[in-house]
Amino acid sequence: MYTKGVGPFKYFVGISSLAEVATRDDRVCVLNILGGESSEVTPVSHAYSGGNVVFGTSPGRRGQVLESQLGPIPVFNSVREGLDAGHRFNTGVVYLPPSGVRDGVAELARVNPELRKIVIITEKISVHDAREIRAIAQMRGIDVFGANCLGVADSWNHVRIGGPLGGDAPEESLFKGSVAIYSNSGNFTNTIANYLAAAGWGTTTLVSSGKDVYIHFAAPEFVYALSNDRRSKAAVMYSEPGGYYERDLVFTKPIVACVVGRWKAKLTRAVGHAGALAGSGDDAESKERWFMESFGVNALFTPENPACSAKGAVVTNIAHIPLALTKVMALNGINLDFDPRGSLDLKPWFANDQGLDLPAEIKLPVVEAIAPYNAQIAQLQQQIGRVFPRQSMKDCSGVSIMDAHTQITRQHGISILECARQPLESNLCQALMREHNGANDNAMINVVIGAEVNLHGDPMLAAADASRAAGNAPNAVLSAAASILGPGRIDAARRAADTLIDLFAHSGLLDARDESFDLRKIVVSDAARARFMADSRDPKAQAMVKAVQEREAKSLFLNFVRGLGDHVSRDAVLAAIATTIAWGPLMRKRISRETARNLPWFLRLYATLIGASVSGARHEAGRFCGIPNQEILGSWSATDLAYLTLMGERANPERLFAFQVLVGLLISNGVGSISAQGAKGAVSADGPQSPERVQINKAMVGFLTHSGYSHGGAGYEGITFLVEQFRDTGLADPANPKHGLDLAVMARRFAVEYGNEKAALREAGGERRAIPGLNHPVFRDKPVNRDPREVFLQELFRERGEYNAFHEYYHALARALFEEGVTRNVFCVNIDAVIGALLLKMLWPRYRSGAFSEHDLEVAAFTIFLYGRMMGCAAEIDDHINRGRNMDTRTAASQCKFVS
Amino acid sequence: MQLTGMLYGSKLLRYVEFPTAEVLGPEASEDEIKALIVRHGSVFVKPVFKGGVGKKGKAGLIGRARDLKTALAEKERLYFVEHRVGNTAAKAQGVTFEGAVPAEHEVYFSLTDSTRFRAPTMTLTHRGGIAIEELPKEQVAEIPFEALTGLKAFVIANALSDIGAPKEIISPLVQNLPKLWELFHNYGMTTLELNPIRMMPGKGGRLVPVACDFKCGFDRDDPRWQRLGLPDHLFAADYSDFEQEINQLRTYQGQSDVYVINSQGTILAPTFGGGANSLVTQALGDDAIISSDFGGNPPYEKMRDVARICFKYWLAQSNVLFIIGGKSNNTDIEATFRAMADALREHFGGHGPTPLYVVIGRGGPNLIRGMGALRDTLEALSLPYRFFGFDSAMSEVVNYAQAINRWMKAGGREQLAQRLGAGARAGTSPATGG
Repeated sequence: MYTKGVGPFKYFVGISSLAEVATRDDRVCVLNILGGESSEVTPVSHAYSGGNVVFGTSPGRRGQVLESQLGPIPVFNSVREGLDAGHRFNTGVVYLPPSGVRDGVAELARVNPELRKIVIITEKISVHDAREIRAIAQMRGIDVFGANCLGVADSWNHVRIGGPLGGDAPEESLFKGSVAIYSNSGNFTNTIANYLAAAGWGTTTLVSSGKDVYIHFAAPEFVYALSNDRRSKAAVMYSEPGGYYERDLVFTKPIVACVVGRWKAKLTRAVGHAGALAGSGDDAESKERWFMESFGVNALFTPENPACSAKGAVVTNIAHIPLALTKVMALNGINLDFDPRGSLDLKPWFANDQGLDLPAEIKLPVVEAIAPYNAQIAQLQQQIGRVFPRQSMKDCSGVSIMDAHTQITRQHGISILECARQPLESNLCQALMREHNGANDNAMINVVIGAEVNLHGDPMLAAADASRAAGNAPNAVLSAAASILGPGRIDAARRAADTLIDLFAHSGLLDARDESFDLRKIVVSDAARARFMADSRDPKAQAMVKAVQEREAKSLFLNFVRGLGDHVSRDAVLAAIATTIAWGPLMRKRISRETARNLPWFLRLYATLIGASVSGARHEAGRFCGIPNQEILGSWSATDLAYLTLMGERANPERLFAFQVLVGLLISNGVGSISAQGAKGAVSADGPQSPERVQINKAMVGFLTHSGYSHGGAGYEGITFLVEQFRDTGLADPANPKHGLDLAVMARRFAVEYGNEKAALREAGGERRAIPGLNHPVFRDKPVNRDPREVFLQELFRERGEYNAFHEYYHALARALFEEGVTRNVFCVNIDAVIGALLLKMLWPRYRSGAFSEHDLEVAAFTIFLYGRMMGCAAEIDDHINRGRNMDTRTAASQCKFVS
Repeated sequence: MQLTGMLYGSKLLRYVEFPTAEVLGPEASEDEIKALIVRHGSVFVKPVFKGGVGKKGKAGLIGRARDLKTALAEKERLYFVEHRVGNTAAKAQGVTFEGAVPAEHEVYFSLTDSTRFRAPTMTLTHRGGIAIEELPKEQVAEIPFEALTGLKAFVIANALSDIGAPKEIISPLVQNLPKLWELFHNYGMTTLELNPIRMMPGKGGRLVPVACDFKCGFDRDDPRWQRLGLPDHLFAADYSDFEQEINQLRTYQGQSDVYVINSQGTILAPTFGGGANSLVTQALGDDAIISSDFGGNPPYEKMRDVARICFKYWLAQSNVLFIIGGKSNNTDIEATFRAMADALREHFGGHGPTPLYVVIGRGGPNLIRGMGALRDTLEALSLPYRFFGFDSAMSEVVNYAQAINRWMKAGGREQLAQRLGAGARAGTSPATGG
């Protein structure tokens, strides 16, 4: 059953000439117009075609519009609504997902009697649906292009319908000329047009046919319409194996056929386009033969053997199409449409042989790219650091990702388990620099933290103390200090860093440790010099320089600023150190320039948060927590200092390692965590599209206010639970495996009690609180469940020969709960349990001796969490500044719910 | 995705109540085989191949047994038999025992979508049991029909009249063959072939069509075949680990088709879009390790996963990483190249450096930003590279990649390895800071 159309076909065909494929009079309705692909492509098509899209549909989005250069395109829930609103169209374009295409075609065909053409862009439509689409269209007398195609275009009419032929700049590819193109490959439709232009041929109509089993507007229809198109003097047809579409074609105009895919005959199953399953006489060689017989040639056309007739030529390489066409056209007495536009010779735009000794014939020199790419390349060469495209960063991160199966978060591609092996000073930098430090960078940052941790006489300390005295939790205390470290206090250092980047970015310096670099190359203006100088001798600057020397660290930038005069400012030293750390990643374009100039601010914030976590009494003019400033500057690491603030002493290696692991584990739980959301919200509210206005200290406050007893106190819950279990046991040293306690018995006792209590509560309709540190919703479907993070840590400490009674107790407890029938399988000891066990092991001696109250334990647990998370949140803040859009974290009103 | 043989064929046919020969699988006991022989007089022993393998009869791979001893001997001969068609070889994994169906008439029947008629098309002849191509045209009916109404009884009746089929087979076929459209159309098939259908005398001498062999192809893009609940391993027959890992990415937007062309190749060329894939695979010949079409405009995550998996399997042996395509219409080159660069950096981070020359030919949106991102990464990894724009002919770029590959083979690889310190493979990423 089909409507009678034009031509000799035994099925409906409505297009009698290629000039009718895409005309200025066609009016278009786009289904799923707001979908990802359509919303990019449709506005360009609309503008190129003089505004041919009358409306689009997207169920549930009536009233919205798709913006375009020629004004907004209205969106309706359905085709009928658009027609009811007075719009008329004759062409439907389908961008629906595969399962929806058939119904979309049915909708178009049923409700719009004026419909003549449908272009289906969607790929992966089932053959089942394609069959029915064919039947619907045949019955109604509609021409269908596609599916799985890039649409149609007409260079004479300046119209394209459906897909993105010619990309985002159709006029760069679609030059008016005399050749029609039909191609099974969407990309090649465009590429062939470009190749033809290079040889001096322009185009009439371009049809991207698609390569599904059902090609609705296929080679026979194309050839028929070609005959009737007075503009087209010839055509190029690109075909792949599969299907009999090219068999028995009747040509009235010269054709260059390109058949690619001989290799597919070797395969036993489909690769590439769905219909291209070769075999049974429709393979590439058969297709070559069909064309050759039609053209009366006995060989393929190659530049060496230019076999062709006035009827045509067959090539198997698209690069040979222009030459073959020119030869065939010459036999017909037809000249080029225009002067050739460029050539297709090899022209490298970028190259570096890295000093290798390549033979001359492949050592091709870089040539200037064609416009506008040459200007873009020139701009790229000037660009310092990485430039990120901006996008909505709500719930998105370019920094962290948590694996849903293992719950292990990766930050800049490095697992937090790996971070836990690194010292704090290296992790502090990794958050921002995307890679861990070498020894030189560690020395550098240790000097900065050591120099800035002592807040004696600074209002930040007074603010923190006042907050502490008011009974606030550590997060609120640190917020008070951070609030004061605003842009006014860091701008001098940021300006100095900026100046260093400007001076050295194009100097050829790749390694900031390279003190042999010839500084005479760097020309400094008076204004630039002033940015590094203090009014008088700055003792802190001197002390920092001395500390760097004592640590035998290298910094060209420090040498440089010292060479500018005697009164180098502390901001200049801070900037020089920060820029030394940032230089490698900046030059390798791993980080943005914005990140490099903000690094001094982040470093000072780190030092301030560590410093403000101890009370003002411990900040003295010459000492911090009782340690002389100069000693800290010259030899203490950031890890040592952070430990000191919490424990009041210098750690032994074992404790320091445990501390480092703890802090490392807490760096990040992915972008969904409340703390990350708080930090990102603060950046979003300042407007990252004006990055210089973002208050990084406020963003840190955003993170701090978005932590709390629930988010940050989980370690403490574990501690409380363990303290309850061990308070009266007389345990002296949890690190000693010979502690004399029978952990299994203790665990069984608790399990029995817990089970009874749980059963009783259930009878009463209540629920016993879960045991902190046991079970995790993600890891509970096996007979014995393990959290991979916990497994990793147990192994790590076992390798080091370190024992932890609390950790062992947790394992005993998980087993006992199962054996006593309280749980249906062996629950998982989770990461919170490990954190609790590690912390308590560290704090136990002080708790036992009475030096630490339970409140102190809680403060310490919370503070450790903040130390870890400040790094993860610094990374998210920096990332959001680099990539985000203003106010991008807000939730649309339509997504918000009212509850009563 | 193809299925051959009666082991699963008979199960599928039962969904639409089409009569089939009695079949026992490889696990059949001797008693069961013996009983089958007693019921049917003899059995056919056929090797079980996964996927689509044809022409078994011609290759002497069908055994017939009238007693248990012969049946077991044929089982032993055919259980792991290798069947070679052209370049490809398939190995049997078991045998089936099929009860013989006595019949005077053998019918050939198939359904597929014809690109000549542009409609679902039935092929039918009463002279079945042999290769259909060998029959004169007038004895074969090839009839397109309407997809929305389906294969109707009158279509079959007319076809059988046209080819002069014996009248006693017309009524049973008209009654039974339309059922096969239900199986074909509602379960995501692209082809269905029963050859032979043997016309067995039933009660009162009335003939019953019995399917004695089965072939079908499923459409990967149609979820309807999953309604059949067939085990996954049927379609995983000859996928390598690499192919399987890549295939899992089909859940992303677009396709991920990949085929290992030469596991000893030295040019790794992931391509996007069918055209580029065809051209490149053809031009590279045996240099290519894989032939791939990862679809147009892949999102960053998919691209990075594709690159990660390709690098994991093939980077160590590759001389050239070759990224090639025309001037894309819609593919965001920056997203694709950045994803590849990130995957490459991660691979070097995890596995240490490997000597590699990178050749690129591409055009499309955000081209220079994409090339810039990739260049920066290659600089950081100290890898040599040459990038061409879309104004260099793709085939010339392919030739260039091959020239580099030849140079790498002729000493370039060692030279580069030395520079990279690739001997010290356990080393950390060269991108680690100072």
